[in-house]
Amino acid sequence: MSAGYTAVGWNRQKKLYDWFIFGFCVLYLISFILVTACINPDYTFETVLIRSTSTLAVLLLHVILSIGPLARMNKKFLPLLYNRRHLGVTMFCIAAVHGVFSIIQFHALGHVNPFVSLFTSNTNFFSLSGFPFQSLGFFALIIFFLMAVTSHDFWLHNLSPKVWKTLHMFVYLAYCLIVMHVMLGVIQYETHPVFVLLIAAGSLWLISLHLIVGRREIKKDNEKFGLANEGFVAVCDAGEFEEGRAKIFCIDEERIAVYKHENKLYAIHNVCKHQGGPLGEGKIIDGCITCPWHGYQYLPNNGQSPPPFTEKVSTYDVRVEDMKVWVNPKPFAEGTERPGAVIN
Amino acid sequence: MKNSEFYIGWMPKAPASFAKQVKSVLFILFPLAIIVGLVLASFQKKFSTANFEFGKSTEIKGIYINSPVPMLKVVNGKDIWGNASFISIPLVGYGKHGAETAIMQLEKEKNTSFNNKELTMKGTLLYSDGKTLLQVSKEENPVISIGKDADVLSLPKQTDLGIQKIKGEIIDPKCYFGVMKPGEGKVHRDCAIRCILGGIPPVLKVMNEKGEMNYYLVVGANGERMNEAVRDFVAEPVEIEARAVQQDDWVILYVKDKNIKRVSSISLYRSEDQIASCVGGCIK
Repeated sequence: MSAGYTAVGWNRQKKLYDWFIFGFCVLYLISFILVTACINPDYTFETVLIRSTSTLAVLLLHVILSIGPLARMNKKFLPLLYNRRHLGVTMFCIAAVHGVFSIIQFHALGHVNPFVSLFTSNTNFFSLSGFPFQSLGFFALIIFFLMAVTSHDFWLHNLSPKVWKTLHMFVYLAYCLIVMHVMLGVIQYETHPVFVLLIAAGSLWLISLHLIVGRREIKKDNEKFGLANEGFVAVCDAGEFEEGRAKIFCIDEERIAVYKHENKLYAIHNVCKHQGGPLGEGKIIDGCITCPWHGYQYLPNNGQSPPPFTEKVSTYDVRVEDMKVWVNPKPFAEGTERPGAVIN
Repeated sequence: MKNSEFYIGWMPKAPASFAKQVKSVLFILFPLAIIVGLVLASFQKKFSTANFEFGKSTEIKGIYINSPVPMLKVVNGKDIWGNASFISIPLVGYGKHGAETAIMQLEKEKNTSFNNKELTMKGTLLYSDGKTLLQVSKEENPVISIGKDADVLSLPKQTDLGIQKIKGEIIDPKCYFGVMKPGEGKVHRDCAIRCILGGIPPVLKVMNEKGEMNYYLVVGANGERMNEAVRDFVAEPVEIEARAVQQDDWVILYVKDKNIKRVSSISLYRSEDQIASCVGGCIK
């Protein structure tokens, strides 16, 4: 975390990440172009540029969409998640090269504006085989553009995390548009089955990954807590906690993170104010609960970020009776001081 | 994972176990992604051998024929009896435009009709599969000289081949014969429609039973342009019923608007249909 404004908080990890992305993209594009040139001496550069950038962008999109669920399954993928937005911006830039060159190639130098041409050349909207697939790619590119320009924390703060997150969830709509763009476009031209097999395998991989992770989350959220007393719900034994770590309980459809810190238990809302990261999967570092996604920090006793930061989350009451942990799911106002429950 | 190990992105280094895991993943992912790219590049359809002499201007002397589409009839050596043989070179405009407007403006400027006259023109050649087209741009003053009227023997010779049903794909010849690769099929459909709506004459591409391509210019029943009428059929398998007329080395299909219908793409590859698809001796 940084108190002052910096456009990008560069550190060694970020630089390594970006250099790796850059190196990979360059290597991919060169390999694709060289193989095309060797196998097809009659190739045209604009076509091979359109194809190499499109395949690279789709590949990167699959990686981007895989990182989230993989990090939920295994925390060691978190280094890939932390700078995922760099990968997203890179993917947009590459997709933009594909989009711009395609619009120039297929729609420029005509008797109407290229953007008018994009939507008026082929108007066969009610036919699968004839569907104007380019418009699908155009709308996906608009979504990627909005995501790329708002990927900085400046926009996260100004739009509010809820609006920002909602906007960035449109990546799934964009992915569907891209799959349809491919299926109704190049798949109807290329005759080798490898193209349809790869896009189907990619979609199947992403759907499976999201379903597996979603099922795990639902299972956790549906855990039943039997005993209730004066609004408190018995959740587990106090001996189950590790020092500096938390357990997450979903009570009344709200996820609560209960942390053990210096032999006391503290409960806070599980959702980080930054990007909705799972605070209960973090760790207490320097006395602060640290979000595993981007390292945002909160004090366990009041849910406030240490000064000069201003983020706050709700706190909850916790009791320990006969080594049984009880949590009251009624939240206190964000940043409210709670004493914590001593473990006897 | 040790309890003490916790990843924070803003720290300069990732914990050892995290760094090791990421390296292992990238060690697999990096070559896998490159291999996927190589596989995709390897299995692309072959690029056509079409040529567009971009940036190169060529002078051509021939007889300008205005109808049914603007073209130059050019002497191309001699036949086996020692008579002059000709090829017809349809003219197309710059970008996604036909040549008609430019020619009309030039005729107005020169205050003369070019039809059936000997013209020397300059433009950019594009050619493939035995067919040649010339891109002319009004800005480049494509008419170098205007000669005398052509003698009757040099004018186009037409042979009526009767009413035919032909299956194939409507393409825009400018892209197909040189400017773009691919210049056909679904991926090129929008561009082909834009070119045809811009005045480039539509061409029906037909494959015969040997897999050879044959090309037919498509116009209306009375020789009028039917570019707008074919827009919904471009780059799709279609069957056209038309009067076929052989004009020198091109076959022209005179089509009534409603005699174009979509067919399944499979039917284009049935041998019995291909025999019916091939008229005019499948001229190459």
